[in-house]
Amino acid sequence: MDRRLGAAGSRGRRFVLGASVLGLGQSATVVVQAILLASVIRRTLQAGATLSAVLPQVIGLGVAIAARGVLGWASEWTTGRGAAAVGGALRADLVRHMVALGPSWLAGERAGELALSATSGADAVGVYYGRYLPQIVVAALAPVGVLAWVGATDWVSVLILLGLLAAVPPAMVVFGRRALEATNRQWRGLSSLSAHLLELIQGLPTLRAFGRVDYGRREVAEATEGLRRATLRTLRVAFLSSLSLELLAGLGTGLVAMVLGLRLLDGGTTLYVALAVILVSPEVFLPLRRASAEFHSSAEGRSGETRIAAVLAVAPGAPGAATTALPDPHRSTLVLEEVTVEFPDRSTPALSPLSLRVEPGQRVALIGPSGSGKSTALHAVAGLVPLSAGRILLGDVDRLDVDPEAWYRAVSWVPQRPHLFSTTLAENIRLGDPGANDDRLAEAIAAAGLEEVVARLPRGLATAVSERGTTLSTGERHRIAIARAVLHDGPIVVLDEPGSHLDGAARRSLARSLAGWLSNKTVLVAAHHLGVVEDLERVVDLGGLEHTSATVASP
Amino acid sequence: MRRDPQGTGTTLRRLVSVSPPPWGRLAAAVALGVLTSGATIGLLAGSGVLVDKAATRPGLGAIAGLLAVVEVVAVARAPLRYAERLVAHDAGLRALARWRVWLFDRLEPLSPAPLQTWRSGDLARRLVADVDALQDLYLRGLGPLVTAVVVAVVAVVVEGVLVPSAALVLGACLLVALVGAPAIAWAGRPRDADRAVAGSLSADVVDLVQGAAELIAFGRSADQLARIEGATARLDRAARRQSRANGAVAALVGICAAAATAGVLALGVDAVAGHRLEPVMLAVLPLVALGSFEVAPALGAAASGLADVVAAGQRLLDIGDETPPIVDPDAPRPVPAGPVEVVLRDARLRYETGAPPALDGVTLTLAPGSKTALVGPSGSGKTSVLHALLRFWPLEAGRVELGGVPTELVAQHSVRARFATVVEDGDLFAGSIADNVRFARPDAPEADVDAALSAAQLTRWVAELPLGLATPVGERGARLSGGQRQRVALARALVADRPVLLLDEPGGGLDQASADRLLADVLAGAEGRTVVVISHRLADTSGFGAVAELAAGRVVSLGPGGPGGLDGSEDRGDR
Repeated sequence: MDRRLGAAGSRGRRFVLGASVLGLGQSATVVVQAILLASVIRRTLQAGATLSAVLPQVIGLGVAIAARGVLGWASEWTTGRGAAAVGGALRADLVRHMVALGPSWLAGERAGELALSATSGADAVGVYYGRYLPQIVVAALAPVGVLAWVGATDWVSVLILLGLLAAVPPAMVVFGRRALEATNRQWRGLSSLSAHLLELIQGLPTLRAFGRVDYGRREVAEATEGLRRATLRTLRVAFLSSLSLELLAGLGTGLVAMVLGLRLLDGGTTLYVALAVILVSPEVFLPLRRASAEFHSSAEGRSGETRIAAVLAVAPGAPGAATTALPDPHRSTLVLEEVTVEFPDRSTPALSPLSLRVEPGQRVALIGPSGSGKSTALHAVAGLVPLSAGRILLGDVDRLDVDPEAWYRAVSWVPQRPHLFSTTLAENIRLGDPGANDDRLAEAIAAAGLEEVVARLPRGLATAVSERGTTLSTGERHRIAIARAVLHDGPIVVLDEPGSHLDGAARRSLARSLAGWLSNKTVLVAAHHLGVVEDLERVVDLGGLEHTSATVASP
Repeated sequence: MRRDPQGTGTTLRRLVSVSPPPWGRLAAAVALGVLTSGATIGLLAGSGVLVDKAATRPGLGAIAGLLAVVEVVAVARAPLRYAERLVAHDAGLRALARWRVWLFDRLEPLSPAPLQTWRSGDLARRLVADVDALQDLYLRGLGPLVTAVVVAVVAVVVEGVLVPSAALVLGACLLVALVGAPAIAWAGRPRDADRAVAGSLSADVVDLVQGAAELIAFGRSADQLARIEGATARLDRAARRQSRANGAVAALVGICAAAATAGVLALGVDAVAGHRLEPVMLAVLPLVALGSFEVAPALGAAASGLADVVAAGQRLLDIGDETPPIVDPDAPRPVPAGPVEVVLRDARLRYETGAPPALDGVTLTLAPGSKTALVGPSGSGKTSVLHALLRFWPLEAGRVELGGVPTELVAQHSVRARFATVVEDGDLFAGSIADNVRFARPDAPEADVDAALSAAQLTRWVAELPLGLATPVGERGARLSGGQRQRVALARALVADRPVLLLDEPGGGLDQASADRLLADVLAGAEGRTVVVISHRLADTSGFGAVAELAAGRVVSLGPGGPGGLDGSEDRGDR
């Protein structure tokens, strides 16, 4: 069991323990059932006992069977709870940790995989702890216990069962590997067939336009048929491992019964022993069969566990002291002192030492080719990326010494590639200030020049922006981000390439509508196009091959 | 999501009527399932009889038959089970084909417009997954249900033959278990709301990861974490309900099995004492009773499986019940033969009642052989003109005429047969380049294909490919670049040899110079045909007889083309 998973892992261990004990208890009831049933039958057949004589044992048998059911209840409850609790706790830990690691760590191609880890990955680990591991513990211990009882009762039978049991590992290795190979082989085929079905549904307009719907219908039927054949080919191999286990289990009971029957003929054993051993024999294989049925969840669970543990192992940056109050941004100078940002997976620094003073109310543009660190500098000011060296100060207070929330409130950031959340347009803009009333929302929309976009959308502000079919251009998405920033209304405005998706006329118009809002703000803008922010006081070029301090150029 | 809009029974009935059970295979699966259960029970009961009889020391000859029976069942059970699982899966998968084709036929008249405005999420992906889920109707639903009932009846009959009163006891207990197990499982099924939460949870996590910078910068990460934890808690409650139900099924079956087994054993002991039952058969009574309950948990699983089927089925039926925006007239009129004038007259089109019109009084006349450019920013109604012409969407007012005949009097396919379209980013199908180029006219002569390839500037590229025209393009043309997809789609439209060519952003994904060259070549290749080019910007409109500029669903300017360019691109913030 994995210590890397922290609290969720130790919670998982408790469920594994509980479910294992319950599973072992179920096996024990089978032995009790067998003993009682064998005893009743022997006494009735060989001692001529009447019902009243064996009644306590008959009732005992009922109690034992019912006990197995009640243990089954507890076991289902524990495994189901365990899977959900472990998966949920792990998801909570993981998402909290991801937020602590911050956006610079989350950025890039990791996003999709991380999202998958936090959803199906965490669920798979839950199932692994809740169902698979207890089943493995039971499969390892219960047969030993049952065999020990059989051995104490009849050593010939235990030899037969041990012999068959010895065939289980090689059978599992051979068939398990073949099943895995077959599954992997078919996987590509299966996913390409599903992709084909998707293509046909998405391509319906083209099929209609060219009058080839019949082709689509035929292909849908054929792809489904192909899917069926491919699936069956895989299942034929995948079911072989359970076939072999069931065969061994059947042979176990069959051979034990045959040998006991033959030995009874010459008095080599007793009816009681024979009946009890026969009735117990399936329980030697049953836990193995159950564990093998859950086998698929083991691979998924382990790979999910490894991926999640790897994320949890990354240490987040140490939080600052948060002891000092934030100076009034309207009166304090924003100072960047030798600010350097390096990412561990990149050889060159994302931002070479940059020093810059921005007086309150001043407007400064950062220019330079892509890769020169414009966006990184803005991320640093916004507090979204840890500094490798240098300091960022407001007045004479280091950013790391103030409460991060206060810093975030002071900064209005417009990212280069805004993310739209899977909710309504209004909610997306209100990200800037959840409590904003409709009037303020309307003002922000007007300042960002979004009015016409809102008017065009069928449901206006209530439109769910991530819906398929809701076409928002890159420029429009950017305006949503600007509206967010306007609503947030931090005195320090950080704009990342605000005009790059707009043509000249649109840039001029946006500059006009933003002018009022920007009038009393300290503005730092990274830009190719300088048109969105009017009256720039300074342009800083980060493009120099080497710069220890920024070159100041006239606008 | 609507809550149980048509009722579970109606949903199941309708699903069955679309794709009736594959009776033969289902019957085979049930027969194999019954034999498997029979073998499981028979192995223990037979072994019991065997040793009971052997204990009376009758000699080998007397038990030889029993020995043979026990060994046969011992060996036969596993292959029977293996065959049953395969046949049952086959039956489930076979049923999918009909549902899938049914759905495809229902989706056809709904595309493209209603499909585009459909709820959230990736519709097509869900359609594939939802149809896949339906196989459980037969695989985990009907099959195990019938198997369980048959096994129960056989077990009761066996008991009845031995001790009639035992049949009553077993029958009563089985009845409780076989009705109770699915009822409990059904009560614990995930609710529609839980399913919706599961879907939105993954969207919330994706938002957290991809939107982390925004959430942190605006101080909203705690809210998003709370949302995720709320969804997790809700799923946890659903999981709790389901494990409670699973546990209750196990307990109920266990208690019924206990009562039945102890009961028939007591009756059997009494019968042996009263000489009404042959002593060696005593073991059969409790072992058959105990074994017959093994099928009961499958009924619980069948009930939860059915709940999933009903949820998926209702979503699919909802889509299937959507009214198509356009149906063919009862007595369609023919379109006049030969090149005809196409007229869009005062057209108003709206995708949703209450929404602003996508087209608002647009009039366009396309004379045979004319070349027209439609320019305007995205959302200005360019693509809606295409939808109106192709009769993908009905007009609220005004009409489209082909040679003077209003298209609502004509069968849809004969309207569309007049047009060849190229949509933005192509829209190819897996297959070779040749398959795609000949898509609209599989019997097109070689010369037409070559001419089209040349007009689409593909001849050299195709010649350099090792497989030439036989090169596979991948799903949706994924193996080609955006520009190549566009050109193959162009060639496909040219080969289609239809009187009107509709090109949506033919230069999309190309730089301006290449786009201009391509457009010039296409206009030359389409000599004699009517051509409409839709674009958000055109550097040079001199090849066009008419240029119409659209904004907010209206034609704001209409005039002859000229050497000057038109830029209606990108954002419309200044309008």
